[in-house]
Amino acid sequence: MKWIFKIALFVALVIAMNWQYEQWAYKEYVFREADQVMQIEKVKNADVIYLSASSNFSPRPQEEDPRKLSQFVGNYFPSLLFEAINTPASHAGSHVDLLRFIPEKNKIQTVVCVINLRSMGPDWLHSSLETALNKQGVMYQSRPPIINRFLTSLGAYDNKTIEEREDERADMWAAPNLPFPSPRTNVNEWCALYKWGEWTDPKRQLADQYIKQYAYVVDENNPRIKDLDEIVSVSKERGWNLVFSILSENIVDAELLAGPELTQLMTMNVEWIKSRYEIDAMVVDNLNLLEPVNFHDKDFPTEHYNEEGRKRIASNIAHRLKHYHKNAFRNAVWEAELNPIK
Amino acid sequence: MVFNSLPFLIFFPIVLLMYYILPHRLRWILLLIASYVFYGFWKLEYLALIVFSTIIDYFVARFLHTSENRFNRRIALLASLSVNLGLLFFFKYSNFFIEDVLHPTGMISENAVNVWTSNWDFLLPVGISFYTFQTMSYSIDVYYKKVIPETNIFKLALFVSFFPQLVAGPIERFSRLHHQLFQSVTLSSDQLVAGGRLMLYGLFIKMCVADNVAPIVDQIFNDFGDASTLQLWIGMVLFGIQIFADFNGYSLIAIGAARCLGIRLIDNFDSPYSAISIQSFWSKWHISLSTWFRDYVFIPMGGSRVSAVRLGANILVVFIVSGIWHGANWTFVVWGAIHGIAYLAERYSGMAHSPNPLFQPVRWLTTMLVVFVAWVFFRIDSVGHGFDYVQGLFSTNTGELSLIWHPITISFVGLFLLSDTIFRAGNIQDWLAGKSLVTRWTVYSFMIYGILAHAGTVNHPFIYFQF
Repeated sequence: MKWIFKIALFVALVIAMNWQYEQWAYKEYVFREADQVMQIEKVKNADVIYLSASSNFSPRPQEEDPRKLSQFVGNYFPSLLFEAINTPASHAGSHVDLLRFIPEKNKIQTVVCVINLRSMGPDWLHSSLETALNKQGVMYQSRPPIINRFLTSLGAYDNKTIEEREDERADMWAAPNLPFPSPRTNVNEWCALYKWGEWTDPKRQLADQYIKQYAYVVDENNPRIKDLDEIVSVSKERGWNLVFSILSENIVDAELLAGPELTQLMTMNVEWIKSRYEIDAMVVDNLNLLEPVNFHDKDFPTEHYNEEGRKRIASNIAHRLKHYHKNAFRNAVWEAELNPIK
Repeated sequence: MVFNSLPFLIFFPIVLLMYYILPHRLRWILLLIASYVFYGFWKLEYLALIVFSTIIDYFVARFLHTSENRFNRRIALLASLSVNLGLLFFFKYSNFFIEDVLHPTGMISENAVNVWTSNWDFLLPVGISFYTFQTMSYSIDVYYKKVIPETNIFKLALFVSFFPQLVAGPIERFSRLHHQLFQSVTLSSDQLVAGGRLMLYGLFIKMCVADNVAPIVDQIFNDFGDASTLQLWIGMVLFGIQIFADFNGYSLIAIGAARCLGIRLIDNFDSPYSAISIQSFWSKWHISLSTWFRDYVFIPMGGSRVSAVRLGANILVVFIVSGIWHGANWTFVVWGAIHGIAYLAERYSGMAHSPNPLFQPVRWLTTMLVVFVAWVFFRIDSVGHGFDYVQGLFSTNTGELSLIWHPITISFVGLFLLSDTIFRAGNIQDWLAGKSLVTRWTVYSFMIYGILAHAGTVNHPFIYFQF
């Protein structure tokens, strides 16, 4: 009897503690450590939410219009409320946690979720940034906040060390998993094959990075594909329209530096993704949309676009999104300035 | 498996429940299985090392017990020590020895170093220094006929691998721990409550004090060149608090977990920062290790019954070896040497035994200055950086890091230091036992709330795991 009383007292205490924590400390903590939770409040009232990463906001000071890619999309639908969540380095895995965390009562009609091809490769799958994203992900679970906070401090998420992640990545680069004969059976072989001079040569280093970022085959075992499957499932449950927007990559430089086999692989992966999701979602293919001049970073393959690049992708997405929001669609004023999309 | 992790919070109650459900004769088997699961959780391969060490010590001890031939016994003991120390050396010190000793002295080439490090790049098996010392003490005690060896190899395996104290101590002796592992224990609420209190307090000081202080310490030590003099002092003092809360926290969880199972482990700390001499500090800090060094290194070297010069040299050797035990880096050698030199200075100046109470605050301050300056070398990555840091403490650096302070962290640190002086760490459960229900539950609630809502989230492993 005494033990039952003590257990009951303990449970009551934890409930009281959770209430107290929610009132006094929760907001301060999530603002500091998992600010995406705060953004949920904002997006639940939006008509369209745009889930992205740094590709959404990469302006440079000299640009006339520094708006985000999602804001350019929103330009086409002036009567709809667009909101974006764009934590750097986030990916489908973080997006699915966020979607699950959105309250049942919301006004969302459509979810636009970007697919970054690089996020499916070994370098990003085993990035050291994953630990921080996974830690944030604990706070998005639908449990009492104090329990989520406790699980975070217990490290109850995938919190491998940098060394462990590097080892896993190295194993994937060494595994013979590419659909090419030798000497392109794995990333390491391929990187050794393409010689633009010594390793100190910036061109050689860039070629190496292109191969490391894109040389892999996407299949249903890829963790990001499992996350995308989850996004499909959550969107169906909630009755949201789902748009997957495959981000543009610097195809021209990829081919120039690493050869046509690499772009062939990138295209093959995109086609596979399109065929997998074409029934359950609208898939917008932006892979080949941009020219090298539209990419800001010249020393590493990224999806950081200049103003024109952001506008061209926005236009591509908006014209497809019209399917769900026909009455709200208006052509953006800057549409005519863009070169025709290929 | 670490104590402050979800798997352990599930694992321990299950083991505890099964322990008291099972009949007495089967309990030790459960503990052995649980210990191997606990250790194998890190890396299954590491279990092979413990098993190997156990097998060697089992057979050596059996031989030592039956053989009367002094030469053969000595050879057998040497073999056992060589295997244990060899494993320790190979996994912990080989890279250091090759890169920092052989290579700088020109005994091997750069190429050979690269070949070695690329072929033998492995993680240090968790807790190897702890269980190696525990098994070595067993063999030595059998050699000196202080204990009768275990005849069942599986029972010896449990002594070597008993999970609460396997990876970071307290380092137990066979004569103290072994019989407790097989004694009949009846379930008692007093025992569970006592163990639970120690575990709760241990978790609190690890997760709320050490883990909250850790990011500030990391920031100051990683960028100490940009820190102001005041910040360098803060970094040094906070590291002293972090390592105490971290290691004492671990020890208390270990002692508490064992207590729940009806087993009493040796206390590892006794308010070390109240020490007024280095000698006294070492009777209060990591007690199980300092007594191990006293019994198995210092006394065999002649103890106090040698000439003053020899005694001084022996003391210095013990402290330096203790430093190296902590890690394969010259910084640990310097850390040990600082303590050794300060110990000798105290001993030969008579300061350690000065009866004048007026000098006590000065002695305490001097002792803490030595202890905390030595911590700088314990924490920093190289000896050169250590000296730069210490130099910075006594200069007027104007640099300014923007440190992220949280008022809760400061309150936790204050409470921890206060509580350590009130109930001297391990005695929290005695202190609580005499209090009213309301007081007890207020203290429990505070600690539980701290752990649930304000524990550090950077997830630092226990510092002593790396040793």
